Amino acid sequence: MPVKDDLPLPTLRDMLASAHLRLIMFAVLLATASLVLSGGLVIRNYAQRNLELVGRTVAYTVEPAVLFGDREAIRQGIVSVAAGRGIERVEVRDSAGQLLAEWQNPQQGALATLSRAANPVFWPNPAVDQVLRGEDHIAEVRIYGNSEGILRYGLAGTIIALACLGLTVIATRILARQLQSEVVRPLEHVAEVAHAVRRDRAFERRVPASGIAEIDRFGRDFNALLAELQGWHAGLTSENRELAWRASHDGLTGLGNRQMFETTLCGAIDHARRDGSALAVLYLDIDRFKAINDDHGHASGDAALVAVGERLRAAIRQNDLAFRLGGDEFAVLLAPTSGRDQAGMVVERIRQEMAQPFRLPSGVHIAARLSAGVAIFPEDGESGDALLRKADARMYRDKGRDLGSGVFVNA
Amino acid sequence: MLKRLCLALVLLTSSALMTAPGRAMPLAVMADIPLGPAIPGESRYAGAVVRTVRGMIEYTRWPQHNDPLVLCVAGPTQHAGQIGSIRLSDGRRVDRRNVNATPGALGGCHILYLGNLAIALQRQLTEAVRGRGVLTIAEADPSNAAEAMFAFTYKPNGLSFRLNVDAVSRSGLRVDPRVLRLSQGGA
Repeated sequence: MPVKDDLPLPTLRDMLASAHLRLIMFAVLLATASLVLSGGLVIRNYAQRNLELVGRTVAYTVEPAVLFGDREAIRQGIVSVAAGRGIERVEVRDSAGQLLAEWQNPQQGALATLSRAANPVFWPNPAVDQVLRGEDHIAEVRIYGNSEGILRYGLAGTIIALACLGLTVIATRILARQLQSEVVRPLEHVAEVAHAVRRDRAFERRVPASGIAEIDRFGRDFNALLAELQGWHAGLTSENRELAWRASHDGLTGLGNRQMFETTLCGAIDHARRDGSALAVLYLDIDRFKAINDDHGHASGDAALVAVGERLRAAIRQNDLAFRLGGDEFAVLLAPTSGRDQAGMVVERIRQEMAQPFRLPSGVHIAARLSAGVAIFPEDGESGDALLRKADARMYRDKGRDLGSGVFVNA
Repeated sequence: MLKRLCLALVLLTSSALMTAPGRAMPLAVMADIPLGPAIPGESRYAGAVVRTVRGMIEYTRWPQHNDPLVLCVAGPTQHAGQIGSIRLSDGRRVDRRNVNATPGALGGCHILYLGNLAIALQRQLTEAVRGRGVLTIAEADPSNAAEAMFAFTYKPNGLSFRLNVDAVSRSGLRVDPRVLRLSQGGA
């Protein structure tokens, strides 16, 4: 449905209220109109019969007075019978058509004026009765009806209809409010959950049962959809986490890779520079690693790398970090405030760990030696590259030495 | 409506009949029966009198059907010149008969019209016919001291009559309650 942008959409409550209002107004007006109309017709019929009866009664009452020719008595007879509501005018005429007596409703006021205006509509013809004495026709009585009663009825009907309409308008509003809270609250729950899911990724939220069949069905489907989304989201999250881990770690040994080493080293250098503290980098590789590969196969080379990784992890302190930079090259970032002495101790512990032979897949046990070089920040370089180059150079010098010799920690 | 009216008439009639005998009832006066055109040689009330007498006869029921009705005139009259010409709406005739003003002379009368007689004599005559089904009308007893059923009173512009409810109730006749009502001024 096309809606103008500047017009606010109608709420469900407005729609319910206006629908109810129209329905009830239609019902009330229909009922009132038919009641007033049928009631008016019935009243009109009764009033007509009343006129005829009053005519008969007047004729009967005034008969002696007419016979005696007493006009005053005729008038009083009319008054005694006809005075009251529903009669506008009474005339008694003798057989020659001459007026003997008349009576006019004396009522004044707005209603009486209105009634007189309406009389020709409701009572176009008077009720006529003859005054007979034996066979003689001695006079004629004419009774003109008064529409005041019908007007009063119509007025009362209109007022009652208006009052009923007022009541129904109020009732409609209450009803609409109840309906709205019954229908809209479950929908608002759905909307609230959808919003929370979108904003806070709260995939664990669920729409509660509403007690309305259609909305419950909708809520169940919505909840099922949320469950699927939750599954997807969990899968994606763990996949992302694994990808991120793989991007920064070596798959074989589980140590950090070269990229993570560089990032970590950069951060550590910044930190040490700010604090004015020292920092040590250890560069290591496996002596004669190529020979292990060649003699025992690549699976054995991998086993050697895994063994070196495990032992490095075991040898370093809690705050030190070990990395595999690639091939058989490893690095250790020693915890801040580590000086040459601590570096030497860590290298010594690594050597001790490595002295234990490890088992290759082929069942052979061998021991491997690591060459190691140390560089200290800031003496050996201000940047990561410089430190790494220094440590690398020292490691190569170490590799030239015989087994058992000390590690080069100085240039 | 009709039912209510009937009830009212019954009440009115019974109240009239239940009146204690002997006690003079309040005698109501009816207003202004127009006199009509004057006829030369006749009293100016003659027309009104004949119409009124006719009305009184019309609304009175005798125990038996009488045709013709005998209207006895006792004593000299001033306004009864046309009274012999009455014909009722149901076709009955009314025959005028002049009688002596003595109680024994009233046999066969259905209506007794009292002329200008002494009140005591009038009273004798009304007492003689009481309970015997005779309609009594007094022409010259405006205060109705003789206790006739109806007594004429004369006004400059019209004729009136008084009705003695006590006399009506003891007459042995039935007078239409509407006439009783009429005589009481429609009250």
